[in-house]
Amino acid sequence: MNPEIIVFSCNWDGWSCIETAINTGLKYPSSVKIVKVNCLSRIHTGLILQALDLGADGVMLLGCETGKCHFDTNNDCIAKEYEKVQNILELLGMNKDRVILVRLPAFNGRTFIKKLTSLIDTVKQISNSDRNRENNIRHSVKNTVA
Amino acid sequence: MLGEIDNKMFDLKSVSNETKIKLCLDCGKCTVVCPVTRYDQNFNPRLIVQGALRPNSNVPVDENIWACINCNMCMERCNYNVKFTDFIRFLRSKALSEGVEIKYSHCGVPHATMHMMANKDIKQDRLKWLPKDIEVKEQSDTAFFVGCSPYFDVLFKDLGVKSIEGTKGALKLLNHAKIPFTLLPNERCCGRDLLLLGDTEEFLALAQANLDEFNRQNIKEIITACPECYYTLKVDYPKFLKKWRINVRHITEILAPLIENNELALGKLNRKVTYHDPCVLGRYSRIFKQPRSILNSISDLELVEMVDNQEKALCCGANPWAYCGSVNKQIQKERLAQAKATGADILVTACPKCQVHLKCAQKNAENNDVCQIEMQDIFHLAIQSLSSQEVK
Repeated sequence: MNPEIIVFSCNWDGWSCIETAINTGLKYPSSVKIVKVNCLSRIHTGLILQALDLGADGVMLLGCETGKCHFDTNNDCIAKEYEKVQNILELLGMNKDRVILVRLPAFNGRTFIKKLTSLIDTVKQISNSDRNRENNIRHSVKNTVA
Repeated sequence: MLGEIDNKMFDLKSVSNETKIKLCLDCGKCTVVCPVTRYDQNFNPRLIVQGALRPNSNVPVDENIWACINCNMCMERCNYNVKFTDFIRFLRSKALSEGVEIKYSHCGVPHATMHMMANKDIKQDRLKWLPKDIEVKEQSDTAFFVGCSPYFDVLFKDLGVKSIEGTKGALKLLNHAKIPFTLLPNERCCGRDLLLLGDTEEFLALAQANLDEFNRQNIKEIITACPECYYTLKVDYPKFLKKWRINVRHITEILAPLIENNELALGKLNRKVTYHDPCVLGRYSRIFKQPRSILNSISDLELVEMVDNQEKALCCGANPWAYCGSVNKQIQKERLAQAKATGADILVTACPKCQVHLKCAQKNAENNDVCQIEMQDIFHLAIQSLSSQEVK
């Protein structure tokens, strides 16, 4: 079974890569869900952690190359947030490679698929999955009360 | 069994008995002292209670229940010890069960982290900050509960929060007092914020994970420097976990008697400081004197009190990482102004979260009317006094 991947993609160069991939007939598994946002600066640590918390096995942040943001006043918030997420995942003892930041030039569908496949492979290798979280909580609550 | 606990939690009758909410005389003292009411006229503890107790009310959830900051000022003044904060917790649980979505502050990161820590299989790597000069026993009955300081330092790096320095200071003080302790590599968050927000299920998951961890390491006693962890482990865990047999002590309860009996000496620090009582350490746990006696034992240190201190101390103004707004900011601004009025150089506090919230107010100040006073953890300050002496 393929791992659940969430791709947060920016509306501009990032999205163009996904569109190109689809238009040129490249394929990715249906377990990959794409969330389009106006700019990657919209994405913060809370959203990434919540994606993982709610059962995603990996998260890809797909955006424009540094300095090529569509918006004039881009202060590259995502770099700071990405660093924060990595540090928190490290503290939590989860593999940092579950979350990757990918910056691509426009219309680069092939590289997008390549990066996505490598993320799926990495996530598959990380054996300790958090999938059973829901059951774990129920189980522990039952123990507590008993 | 699960059903029983749930029923008890959501049963208005048993909750009103437990919180003595029907003893409310309608005298209004709670409203007078409430820091939230001072800045938000819509927030009125009595009206919230009246609304909730109205029979067969199908009114939508009162938005105001989220504004309470759980500072316990109301209970301090209540003649009948009505536990308003516990009642608010019940209302929040009820609202959550009705499907109300919480508006988290800080992008929901603290809560997402807590939820992830509730995972039974998680193996944290949370002791990387530990310096080599701190002596930690590999096996001991006594554990030091670190709390979420390592996480705060990552989450609030942009605010300049260094709460781990306080933890390091506390551990060094324990070393200095020759009290052996061990550290737990996989302790969880105590879950107090989840409990306050009414998310009892996740709170129980965290509590159970912590209990399992303590049992695995054969822990009989816990020392902690974080007021919130202290109160939760000491008071809330025994209420929810029937198998809880662990003795919990706050580090000031250990150090202050040693200092008073001249068994422990601190160094010298020529600074003027003021002490901010965290609500949970002060009003909830009644630990007022101990931190002050630690500060007073540092020679050359001048301790000045703010207008509102000890039982009347103003809260740092923050909710459990949710619904933070202009009211909270104004309370924080007022507290910082009180600190400034004392003329102190440093605002000392014993709670890492108070530091986070007050620093947040300082950083987000739109103009210069928020006091930019230096903030330090009491244990960091105490250990600084020792190290500065050694240099001389």
